[in-house]
Amino acid sequence: MMLLQDKYRIAVLAAYALALHGFEGLLPMPIPWLRLGLANIITLVALMLYGFRTAITVTLIRVIIASIFTGTFLGPAFILSFGGGVAGTAAMGLALLIGRNVFGPVGLSLIGALFHNAGQLVLAYFLFIQRIEAVLIISPVLILIGTLTGVTNGVISDLLIKNLTRPDEDAAVFPTTGPSTE
Amino acid sequence: MNFRTTYSAFLAVLGLCLISSCFMHREATYKKTKELMDTFVTVTVVSDSAEKGNEAIEKAFATIGKFGALVNFFSDESEVSNINRNAGVMPVKVSPETLEVIDKAVFVAAKSGGAFDPTIGPVMKLWDFHNNIKASADDIKKGLRLVDYRNIIIDREKSTVFLRHKGMMLDPGGIAKGYAADLAVKTLKEQGIRAGVVAAAGDIRTFGARPDGKPWNIGIKNPRPVKGSTNDILAVIGLGDKAISTSGDYERFFIEDGQRYHHILDPKTGYPAGGCRSVTIITGRGVFTDAFSTAVFVLGPEKGLKLAQDEEMEALIVDVNGKIFMTPGLKEKLKFEKND
Amino acid sequence: MKKTIRDTTVADRLLFVLLIAAAVAGLFISREAMSQSNDVIVEINGSPAYTFPLTTDRTFTVQGALWETVIEIKGRKVRIKEAHCPNRICVREGWVSKGAIICLPNRVVVVVGGTGRSGKDIDAVTG
Repeated sequence: MMLLQDKYRIAVLAAYALALHGFEGLLPMPIPWLRLGLANIITLVALMLYGFRTAITVTLIRVIIASIFTGTFLGPAFILSFGGGVAGTAAMGLALLIGRNVFGPVGLSLIGALFHNAGQLVLAYFLFIQRIEAVLIISPVLILIGTLTGVTNGVISDLLIKNLTRPDEDAAVFPTTGPSTE
Repeated sequence: MNFRTTYSAFLAVLGLCLISSCFMHREATYKKTKELMDTFVTVTVVSDSAEKGNEAIEKAFATIGKFGALVNFFSDESEVSNINRNAGVMPVKVSPETLEVIDKAVFVAAKSGGAFDPTIGPVMKLWDFHNNIKASADDIKKGLRLVDYRNIIIDREKSTVFLRHKGMMLDPGGIAKGYAADLAVKTLKEQGIRAGVVAAAGDIRTFGARPDGKPWNIGIKNPRPVKGSTNDILAVIGLGDKAISTSGDYERFFIEDGQRYHHILDPKTGYPAGGCRSVTIITGRGVFTDAFSTAVFVLGPEKGLKLAQDEEMEALIVDVNGKIFMTPGLKEKLKFEKND
Repeated sequence: MKKTIRDTTVADRLLFVLLIAAAVAGLFISREAMSQSNDVIVEINGSPAYTFPLTTDRTFTVQGALWETVIEIKGRKVRIKEAHCPNRICVREGWVSKGAIICLPNRVVVVVGGTGRSGKDIDAVTG
C-alpha cells in the first residue's frame, strides 16, 4: 500500500528524472548514439535508497511522460526506451538481491547501462531491424559507450547518495527518510 | 585493490584476449576483382590474415596480367600478334606459357575434329558483335581457307610457333582465360594459399574448400532467364579441385531479322554454331574446360556429349530448344534452381 | 571523487574491466568482419557480376543489358558516372556510401555493403 510519503517521493524523483532527461536532450552531441542516460542516476539512487518498486515506477513515469512530451508516445523510440528502462532497472534490482554489498553504485550503474542497451538491442532486432550483422557490429561500440557512461553515472549517483544520507539540511529538496517497507 | 582482485581481473582480460585472438586468426575469404584480359577477373582466397590473402590475390592478378599481355589478340606487342604478323614468313620464338596454351589448343582442336580451332582469327574478324555487323558470305568463304589448326607448326625444342600460310591468324580467345585461371591458381598455391577460386569471367578454377568446409558453390547461368526475375542461375554445383567453363549464345550476340548471331563460330562454316544455347564443361584444368566448352558447343548435343564422355569430362548442355543433356552422374551433383 | 573510486567494490571493478575488455574484443572481431562487407557489388541482369573493394578508387565500365555504364569508386563512395538511360536517374543519385543505385532499363544495380544475389550462397558464376 502506497503511503502519501512514497507518492510524494516518487513524484519528486520522476520530476528530477524528467528534468535530467530534458537537460540531456539539450546538450549538443557530436555522436548521435551517445546517450548519457543521466536520468538513470535518479533510477539508481531511487533503487538504492527506496527500493525496487519506487525505482521502477519512477523510470516508467519518466519514459512515458518524456515520450508524450516529445510526441513519440507508443512509437518505436518509446518502445525501445521502455524496454531498455525496464530491463536496466530490473537487472539492477536483481543485482541488489544478490547482496546489498556486492555491487556499489558504480557496479550497479554499469549493470543498469548494460542491460538497458541490451534490452534496446534485442527489441530493435526483433521488432525493427532483422539484420543480425548490424546488431552484432554495433554492440561493441554500445558496450564501450555504455561502460563509460555507466561509470560516470555511477560516480555521480554515489556522490548523490553520500550527500543525501547525511542527516542534515536539504531534506525538503530531496526526500531522504530511509527506504519504505513495501 | 588487493592482490586477489588484481589477479582475477588480469586473468579475465587475458582470457578475453585469447578468445578474441581466435577470431582474429580465423580463416576467412578475401575477394577482389580486377579488369584484366579484356574482362573482369575475380580472385577469392581463403586465408587467416587479410594481408596474406590480399597479397596473394595481387600476385595472382599480376600473373594473369603478364600472361594476358603475351596472348592479347588485339595488342601489337603480344607474342600472338607477332606470330600472326609472321604467318607464312617464319617461326616466332615465344614464352613457355604461350607455347603451352597454343599446344593445348591444337590438342583440343585435334580431339574435337576441328570443332574448336584457334586459327579462326580471319573469320572471327569479319564479325562485329558490338556494332552488330554480319560477315558477308564471300568474305567468310575466303577467310575459311585460312582456318585449319593443322597448319600450326609447333617446335617444342626451339619454343617456336609457325603459321604456315600468309593471312592465318591465331585467336586464343577461346582458351586463354581458362589457361590464365590455371596459372593464377598455381601462383596462389605458391603463395601458400590452400583454397580459393579464380574466375576469369565465366572460366572458373576452384581449389580447396571454403572456410566452412563445404565445396565452392558455382552457379551455372541460365541461357534464357525468365524476364524480370532476379534469379538467372540454372543450377549450382559444389566444386573442390576442378575447373568449369561455359560457352553460351547469350554472351556476345545480336539479333537480326529474328535470327540470333552469336560469337561461337563453327570453324567449318564460319557462321555461329546452331545446336546449343549453352555448354558447361567440368574437368581438372581450366585450359581444357575453356576450349572444350567451345568445341562441344560447336559439335552440338549428341556429338558434343560423346566427346565429353570420351575425354572423361562432365558436361551440361542446353540445346537450342532448351532441352538439357548431361553426362552420366552429373545430375546428382547439380542443384537446379526453381524458376527454370 | 577519489573517495568514490576507493569505495568501489571488488565486483564493481571486475565488472568494469570485463566490460571494457569485451567491448575492445568485440571491436576487433567486428572490424575483421567489416573489412569484408566493404564491397561494391555490381549486379547485371539480377546477378552479381563484379565485386570491387570500396577502399580502392577506380573508374570502370560495365556492359549492361542495353548499353555501357560507367561506375566510379572514390573516397569510399560509389556513383554511376555515365549512363545512357533517358532519365539519367541513376547518375543523378550521386555518391552513395551505403545502399544501392539502380539503373532499371539497363538492368545494372550497384550495391554497397550488402549481400549480392539476395542471400543465395554462390561463390562464382560461370556462363
